[in-house]
Amino acid sequence: MNAPDRNEQTIAAEYVLGLLDHAENADMERRLSSDPALAREVESWRLRFSEFDDTTAPRPAGDELWRRVETAVADPAVRAETAAPAFTRFWNSLAVLRATAMGASLAALVLAVGLGFAIHAARQQPIMIAVLLDGDRAGAVVHTFADGRHVLLPLTSIDVPRGRALQVWTLPSRERGPVSVGLMNQARTLELSLADLPATRPDQLFEITLEPETGSPTGRPTGPILFKGNTASAL
Amino acid sequence: MDAMSDSATKDQATEAQVAAALARCATGDRAALRVVYDAEAGRMAGVARRMLRRQDLAEEAVQDTFVRVWRSARTYDPGKGAARSWLYAILRNCALSILRDEGRFIADEHVAEEAAPMTESALARLPETSALRRCLERLDPQRRAVVVLAYVHGLSHGELAGKLGVPLGTVKSWVRRSLISLQECMG
Repeated sequence: MNAPDRNEQTIAAEYVLGLLDHAENADMERRLSSDPALAREVESWRLRFSEFDDTTAPRPAGDELWRRVETAVADPAVRAETAAPAFTRFWNSLAVLRATAMGASLAALVLAVGLGFAIHAARQQPIMIAVLLDGDRAGAVVHTFADGRHVLLPLTSIDVPRGRALQVWTLPSRERGPVSVGLMNQARTLELSLADLPATRPDQLFEITLEPETGSPTGRPTGPILFKGNTASAL
Repeated sequence: MDAMSDSATKDQATEAQVAAALARCATGDRAALRVVYDAEAGRMAGVARRMLRRQDLAEEAVQDTFVRVWRSARTYDPGKGAARSWLYAILRNCALSILRDEGRFIADEHVAEEAAPMTESALARLPETSALRRCLERLDPQRRAVVVLAYVHGLSHGELAGKLGVPLGTVKSWVRRSLISLQECMG
């Protein structure tokens, strides 16, 4: 595929600006799915102009608007188009099966399709999990994936006083001591940075401490430990 | 850490967080949609408000955006572009369809404002170090205005022509030439 010429580059930019008319816009959207060079051109214009978006002062959007979003996405017409998790789909297909009493061969097919989804989901399952606890209250889990990624998922809301942050640590070895792998100003899903550390072992400690907003000044945990837990291999 | 690399790191962290959350939205995880909302909805409302001028309409655009994000999270392909570009492209679409919906009357409060101050105030918010700002500032003021007002305030060719008091054909050719200069300047 040839690189977009100057005219194509201009059309890509006009598309991003929202200046194309209906027909041109529809044509552009059709071509974008099959023309990677054009899609790259559009993306590069989006990134250039996104500087303007970043100059908007971020203000909290509020819970009221979130409730409207939640109501809208709960609408069955919307939900129907969303991919249900593999197991939900699996059980849904069983429910359909019972309700309509389909034949045995079709049942086998539906089961096979359900299992296919389940296996697909399993490939993206973590190989190790650490549940971070405060006593017997679970605060977060750390998922370790086969490709070396680590993702922390909060399980509860955590109060973070103004001017403070949550810092995530791991203990790769006793000799090395705790290493900071993430910082956030509120409990949220966070990809942890363990790329420079040895591969995570079973029974490796992860913990969350409360630290100053910009992270612990000493490079070691200084604040109270909120949640901690050790990795275990996922079944 | 200096302010610039600090904000670059923060941007990367937000991008990774949003991309991961979109992957979870695709599996039907409603909590992940809330993560995207908490990370971006405030800024999105600000972006939409510059185009729509009214808080209620801006919120409507944000709501429409999240419904579309939820419905089409599976189609987001990280290989094709940044997660935040994808989100803001949807937001622009939603805001523009409200703005250009012929079935409703939205008082055009942009009309009264002069092009030059609107353009300059949008430019002034860009960081001094911004390549976009530097390259836009090289353009003749009216040719700069057509690009800035189309992006930031969502003005159409017709609205630009009205505001600048020039024929439609002139606006179209200004837009094209400005985009060519920008492309050359920004590389």
